[in-house]
Amino acid sequence: MAGGTLARTAAVSGMLAWRAIILVRRMPSVFIPSLVMPLFILVATSGAFHGVGALPIGTGSYLAFTIPFATVMGAGFAGVNAGTTLARDIEGGFLDRLVSSPAPRLSLVAGPFTAAGMRSLFTTTVVLIAGTIGGVTPPGLIGTVIVYVMAAGFGVATSLWSMGVALRARTVQAAPLMQLVVFIAIFTSVAYAPRELQHGWLRTVADWNPVTRILEASRATELGGAGWGEVWPGLGAIALLLAVLGVWALTGLRRLGRD
Amino acid sequence: MNEAIVAHGLVREFKGGIRAVDGVDLEVRTGEVYGFLGPNGAGKSTTVRMLATLLRPTGGTARVAGFDVAHEAHAVRRAIGVALQDAAIDPFMTGRELLRLQGVLHGLSRADCRATAERLLERVGLTEAADRRVGTYSGGMRRRLDLALALVHEPVVLFLDEPTTGLDPTSRLALWEEVRRLNAEAGTTVFLTTQYLEEADQLAGRVGIIDGGRIVAEGTPQRLKAEVGDPALVITPADPERRDAAQEVLQRFGPEVEARPPGTAAARLPGGAARVAEAVRALDEAGIPTASLDLHQPTLDDVFVEKTGRRLEGHGGGESPAAGRGRRGRRR
Amino acid sequence: MSLALRQTWALARRAIAGTFQVPQSWFPALFFPLLLMAIFTASFDRGIAFIPGFPKVHGYLDFGISGTVLQGVLIGGVTSGAFFAGDIERGFFDRLVTSPVSRIVLLTNRLAAGVLLAACQATLFVLIGVAFGVRIEGGVPGFLTLVGLAALLAIPIGGLGILLALRTGSTEAVQGAFPLFFAFMFFSSAFFPRETMSGWFRTVADVNPISHLVEGMRAQVIEGFRPGAAAISLAVIAGFAVCTVGGSALALRRRLGAV
Ligand SMILES: Nc1ncnc2c1ncn2[C@@H]1O[C@H](COP(=O)(O)OP(=O)(O)O)[C@@H](O)[C@H]1O
Ligand SMILES: [Mg+2]
Repeated sequence: MAGGTLARTAAVSGMLAWRAIILVRRMPSVFIPSLVMPLFILVATSGAFHGVGALPIGTGSYLAFTIPFATVMGAGFAGVNAGTTLARDIEGGFLDRLVSSPAPRLSLVAGPFTAAGMRSLFTTTVVLIAGTIGGVTPPGLIGTVIVYVMAAGFGVATSLWSMGVALRARTVQAAPLMQLVVFIAIFTSVAYAPRELQHGWLRTVADWNPVTRILEASRATELGGAGWGEVWPGLGAIALLLAVLGVWALTGLRRLGRD
Repeated sequence: MNEAIVAHGLVREFKGGIRAVDGVDLEVRTGEVYGFLGPNGAGKSTTVRMLATLLRPTGGTARVAGFDVAHEAHAVRRAIGVALQDAAIDPFMTGRELLRLQGVLHGLSRADCRATAERLLERVGLTEAADRRVGTYSGGMRRRLDLALALVHEPVVLFLDEPTTGLDPTSRLALWEEVRRLNAEAGTTVFLTTQYLEEADQLAGRVGIIDGGRIVAEGTPQRLKAEVGDPALVITPADPERRDAAQEVLQRFGPEVEARPPGTAAARLPGGAARVAEAVRALDEAGIPTASLDLHQPTLDDVFVEKTGRRLEGHGGGESPAAGRGRRGRRR
Repeated sequence: MSLALRQTWALARRAIAGTFQVPQSWFPALFFPLLLMAIFTASFDRGIAFIPGFPKVHGYLDFGISGTVLQGVLIGGVTSGAFFAGDIERGFFDRLVTSPVSRIVLLTNRLAAGVLLAACQATLFVLIGVAFGVRIEGGVPGFLTLVGLAALLAIPIGGLGILLALRTGSTEAVQGAFPLFFAFMFFSSAFFPRETMSGWFRTVADVNPISHLVEGMRAQVIEGFRPGAAAISLAVIAGFAVCTVGGSALALRRRLGAV
């Protein structure tokens, strides 16, 4: 029985993930920004602040320094999109169809969660290719895997955050809130400069911000340092986010149908 | 299991103290088509949402297909098919994709999903449009797709919330035909809500009339109409001056009908059409020529007026379903 | 003429009041520029002295404040354009058109409101900057020049918002153009000096009029009162205004069926 439930959850989640992905592909207003924004961030940030590369930011160029930022941004967009879609489904009534069927409830969250992870892998690939074209040496197999894991981990974590908001607010108008929190979380980490260069309030916030660890782990490999000393905290930050935001999303899920 | 739906004292109170459903009792037998008739805001959708496990009742109990909606929701969901009022259909997906998705939601195997999708597309006449995005469908096509979606797992009980509101007459007839066939061939119990008298009259074996969250009358359409009383003979005298005289003559045959158009005389005729000739002869003998004559059979609207003091549709009690158009209740 | 002025003023007051009533229309214009300013300052302050090509300043804030002012005016223009598109969607615009208000007023009231709001916003930003240590080398004339340029910039930016609103008639479409505005700013010297950029990015920033506009404003802060630099900014604003205000006048005629 338990095995059967697991298989059903997996089947329905897979189907809902597939739906999420074809929806993105069919809505140009979602698809194009999700592709262009990470690239734009990569090019604009690395180009505008090129001069920062003259400072001790590691061993690579400022472009290499920006790659993790852009991949995490792209993943964040994918995650927020999971929440916006869910909110639209609740508002439009599509979710009623899912809820009034015997499909396992967990798949309502697990499907978009999976889709957000897959989309993060896609945007990360785009950013990595652009980086390589821009002259950054790819960081080897393990390094590349870590860059992917960090981005996808952040993508699925933000999907849990934004789906939790959607399940509570039940309106698309909550989309700016989902977005705002994700942006602020990224910007107040080490988006533009390493912690050694930061000062004042930002340094304090960045020290506590889990996104800092994620970016640093991704960066350590991007810059060729490949220190496991940075990777473990990154994995820890993702685990922490998944645990906390998982509770946030699942308690939201339990509210469905309550009122 | 003889009762497909049983509800006792079903109540739903929303925040702010609105009692959308206020003590509804229901008994719908297996294999029955039950019509839930009521004006906009009567509580029809709220009732359906509770029976379909989408909304928790705040009072009372309900069992659907033998399972409690609150405590055995999962078993209920397995047994029911639901087409809600605001057919929530993803405009960016195709009809076939939506049917497959629905099949997976109900745990059908991959092959079953595909086969069922083909069969249902054929059945509701959407095979041609199957690979078009739903955003390009007409209102009638959407409703038919919605019906097909509710049928993928061959439900025992089917809920249709205002399935024809906003449809053109042809689409409406097609949908009625489909509901009849489903009921006759598969024996599916159908719980159908509507604002249209004609629809309840045509489709439902039994009708419950709901107003302000309470059931005000229930029975077969025939019995409900018979309860209102005999058919009314309404005449317009050629000479308006003679109306009172005409009324006097008619009242020899039966009680006066108070609610009548101005300038007419009207009385109930026990015995119905058989006595029309007699009444006309009596008018003739009294020397009152008539300009027009109408034997008005009681409608469900008269039932509604009798129970609530208001008309269900429009002001003149027009039977045309079109009168209800533009009043679609939308949840948002 | 005085009638047109009175009508403009009455409608501009409505536009300003409308801006303050909806938090979505003033919050982003205040919040995002200030947040970015704070983050850039905390990220770059300690390093800029060591970046070859970075002008001598007391802190990054002295350099960045002009970009922040510019960004605020840009976002204000977008939200004002979106508000105008909302007027079209809600039918207020049609009501106005069918009233005896003169045609030119349909545009001037928005532009006047934009200029007033931009002047206030720029003053606020600069004062906040001063509170956090910005030293305006140009003194009071420099300050007034900076605020004046920002206020005048609201004319072409507002014109662009109106142009988009008139052409699309959709709030969403106007808001969707927002990332584009952002892109233009990043590909300029709004946040970092051109001297520190390289390659094609440098070329783009060199020809981007926004670079020249913002440098004219910046000179007032980091060099001293510089009428010549201000004149360059003014020229950019004027050229830009001819395009967008002219374009929106054409779009208005088209919408009113005169063409
Ligand atoms: N989620 C809700 N919150 C508050 N009131 C509601 C909600 N849903 C329905 N109502 C109210 O309950 C009443 C019955 O609504 P509904 O069941 O949709 O009527 P019907 O389907 O018969 O038109 C209406 O007055 C409606 O405004
Ligand atoms: Mg309803």
